[in-house]
Amino acid sequence: MGNFDLLMHGFGIAITPMHLMLMVGGVMMGLIVGVLPGLGAPNGVSLLIPLTFALDPTSAIILLSSMYWGALFGGSTTSILFNIPGEPSSVATTFDGYPLARSGQSTRALTLAFMSAGFGALLGVIVITLLAGWASNFALKFGAPEYFAVYFLAFAAFIGMGSAAPMKTLVSLAAGLLLASVGMDSVTGSIRLTFGFEDLLGGISFLVVVIGLFGIGELLSTVQEGLRFRGVASKIDLRDVFKTIAELPRYWATYIRSGLIGIWMGITPGGPTAASFMSYGIARSSSRKGVPFGTGRPEGIVAPETADHSAGSCAMLPMLALGVPSSATAAVMMGGLMIWGLTPGPMLFATQPDFVWGLIASMYVSNLIGVILVLATVPMFAALLRIPFTIIGPMIVAICFVGAYTVSNATFDLWLVLLFGLVGYLFSRLDYPLAPLVLAMVLGHKAENAFHQSMVLSDGSLGIFFANPLVSSIMIVGIALLVLPKLMQHGSRLWRRAPVE
Amino acid sequence: MTIKVFHAELGTAVATGLLGLAGVIGASELGYGWEESGPQAGYFPFYVGLILIGASLWNLVSAFVHHREAVAHAASGGDTEEPFLDRERAGRLGVFIAALLAFVIVTLTMGIYVGSILYITWSAWRQGGYRLPLAFGVGLAFAVALYVIFEAIFKIPLLKGPIEPLLGIY
Repeated sequence: MGNFDLLMHGFGIAITPMHLMLMVGGVMMGLIVGVLPGLGAPNGVSLLIPLTFALDPTSAIILLSSMYWGALFGGSTTSILFNIPGEPSSVATTFDGYPLARSGQSTRALTLAFMSAGFGALLGVIVITLLAGWASNFALKFGAPEYFAVYFLAFAAFIGMGSAAPMKTLVSLAAGLLLASVGMDSVTGSIRLTFGFEDLLGGISFLVVVIGLFGIGELLSTVQEGLRFRGVASKIDLRDVFKTIAELPRYWATYIRSGLIGIWMGITPGGPTAASFMSYGIARSSSRKGVPFGTGRPEGIVAPETADHSAGSCAMLPMLALGVPSSATAAVMMGGLMIWGLTPGPMLFATQPDFVWGLIASMYVSNLIGVILVLATVPMFAALLRIPFTIIGPMIVAICFVGAYTVSNATFDLWLVLLFGLVGYLFSRLDYPLAPLVLAMVLGHKAENAFHQSMVLSDGSLGIFFANPLVSSIMIVGIALLVLPKLMQHGSRLWRRAPVE
Repeated sequence: MTIKVFHAELGTAVATGLLGLAGVIGASELGYGWEESGPQAGYFPFYVGLILIGASLWNLVSAFVHHREAVAHAASGGDTEEPFLDRERAGRLGVFIAALLAFVIVTLTMGIYVGSILYITWSAWRQGGYRLPLAFGVGLAFAVALYVIFEAIFKIPLLKGPIEPLLGIY
């Protein structure tokens, strides 16, 4: 019952006029960044972090997380109306959402998406509420070796479970770790890898890197395609909204299945993108009759949206309880937490209950606000995409550079944004995943410190990572996640090929 | 000018490998061994650098393997490899990146306000086909919005050049 009391206490913190205003503002800004190409959840949150220094941490995290929900909703809007996924995680929504909208049922398509998204998010928050206390108690048993094992598990899961080639994920991870170690080392106090450049003494900020990789990088991809937006009319008919809500219970099986997939992928570092694709695939292969998928089938919208949002909200649990974010946006938020002077991890629950439970309670409220706001404002935000790219493009560029400058008022960061923009474009064209790089940059110092401390404890023996049942089981799960998924793929391919030969 | 996927893969693998090499060299200057208090400062970056070099080499080799398969596939009558960038896309990207570079240079010398006004005006006027006064108006409105949001509401100073002090803006 402890969790329930704490949640009620959290509602007391979350529901104040100031915080409600921040939620509305955050969701609105999230919708804008979700709708516009080149601005997505990770770099939208990065751009906002310097503006939150004036707020107290609880208000700041409520603003940032509301923006995240808004961005997820905004991403689905453009997927359905313009066939342009505003977020990588809403790509799967385009498969059936756009055809359904094209056939004149855009209100139905949007309502399906938003209600599923809201349901998925709600499911995710309930799981967080139930597991939060348990997860943090569990994590209190952790010492340095256990922490390093958890970081290892997160990295291993990205390599093993990601959709990209494992060695490309590894390159992305290692590059992030290397970039994180530039500058002053907090353990030994020595200056590392600056090669004499004074601008590098303070290290490379992950915020600047995220703005470059996701912001400029995505704009470059948009430009090379010479995008023209062909939108579908986006007027919302209230009667259609209620009719669609009435048909929702019919998809209960899809809801439950997709919700579970999302929860699993959100807690393990699979992330929302993988969750939505997986959920769509499973919904398609388990469907029996009716309109084929890809031509505007309702389940084809329900499945990815539910999984996307339940994974997105569940990603907050490992971030808060263990300090291991499982998506790029959660990684950025965790970086923000550390900038505000909070240490993510089990102690956060003990020392900052107002912060943790205020955030969890706000997730209920802001997702509700999100569903209502998005239905009310869709025509307005869809109009944003009708602004020609020759005007909105340079504005997005300018906002990215302004945001990077405000991180530490360093002009050198502007060059870094440009450089990482090119890197982001190249990486996404060649299927190098970007999320592991961000994750590694945020976790780099913590992973290295945990490793350093473990090595000091054990006098340099790697055996410490298998010294007790807890740490060995985490390491074994990590190694299993690293090798099993790819092995199983190979295995099933050989299995299938055998009878043919 | 057409760039093949093969060449882009090779270039990227070499670049990430060089980054790893830089890490290894930088770390070995600091010492990557052990001292009494534990690992030396270069220990972690040194091994991360080695991993990065290894993974890059793997990608380099697999790029060659893929390329050979694709060439063989094309020779036996299949589709040829899709280019990484064809002439049209490369042209579009080139113009955009050149403008981006100019924007950064102008911003560093003249401040972010002048930089974004010029950039937006140029893009709307030359690329969007809007009349110059209208394009300039859009740019100016954007700069004013930046000023109000950042300097007036959030009290965060942005990068300024030599012009702003003349207008009484600090």
